[in-house]
Amino acid sequence: MNISPVVKVVQPSGILNGAKAQPFRKEILNHVENGADIVLIDFKDVTFMDSSGLGALVLALKTVRAGGSQILVCSINEQLKTLFELTSMDRVFTIYANQDDFNNAVL
Amino acid sequence: MRQFPSDVNALDKVLSWFEGMNRPFIPQKVCLQCQLALAEAFTNAVRHAHKNCSPEVTVDIEVTLLPQYLEMRIWDYGPPFDLEQQLKNVPETVNENAHGGRGLSILHQIADELSYTRTDENRNCLLIVKHY
Repeated sequence: MNISPVVKVVQPSGILNGAKAQPFRKEILNHVENGADIVLIDFKDVTFMDSSGLGALVLALKTVRAGGSQILVCSINEQLKTLFELTSMDRVFTIYANQDDFNNAVL
Repeated sequence: MRQFPSDVNALDKVLSWFEGMNRPFIPQKVCLQCQLALAEAFTNAVRHAHKNCSPEVTVDIEVTLLPQYLEMRIWDYGPPFDLEQQLKNVPETVNENAHGGRGLSILHQIADELSYTRTDENRNCLLIVKHY
């Protein structure tokens, strides 16, 4: 019998820059503190992300990994893809096409 | 030339202004890179150059589209800053452990030419040149 991991989804929207970086990071960390094994960040409603938004995600990743949990990413548009590639974060994060793709792969 | 308030929340205005420009001849990838470079430049001006300024102090942006390349100029009223020296401290590739400094690194990677010069009227001008 498999025990499914506890998955929580964070779904930010609009422009993810310095103005939203702190609450975004907090939301991720709150889920982990409440027992999530995996936090899936679904970026489908994010139109644009800059280095401050990405910085928040990377900061959260460190804390989450230290606690033995994971951050996974899905539904990034071409702009986010550009940002992830330029900063080599496409090699740090596992990125799924969408939530279905994630569900098939992980659950 | 367009003026924007020194407020990170004004980034949406900067982005929609840039998106509204007619540029069918620029490949999408280059467009996205330039949009990101512009956002990083604007945010740097607001957060660093205008750190001690009120939001009414504007960041002035000019984008010039030419057949082979584009030029983006971002003016601020901040103190002088030695960008070249700072760039020497920024690694070529961004590693996972770097928290800050990603903005400059992104600018450095995207731009074919990048300069930050002191102008008359005690302003600074960041120039980003990108070939298509």
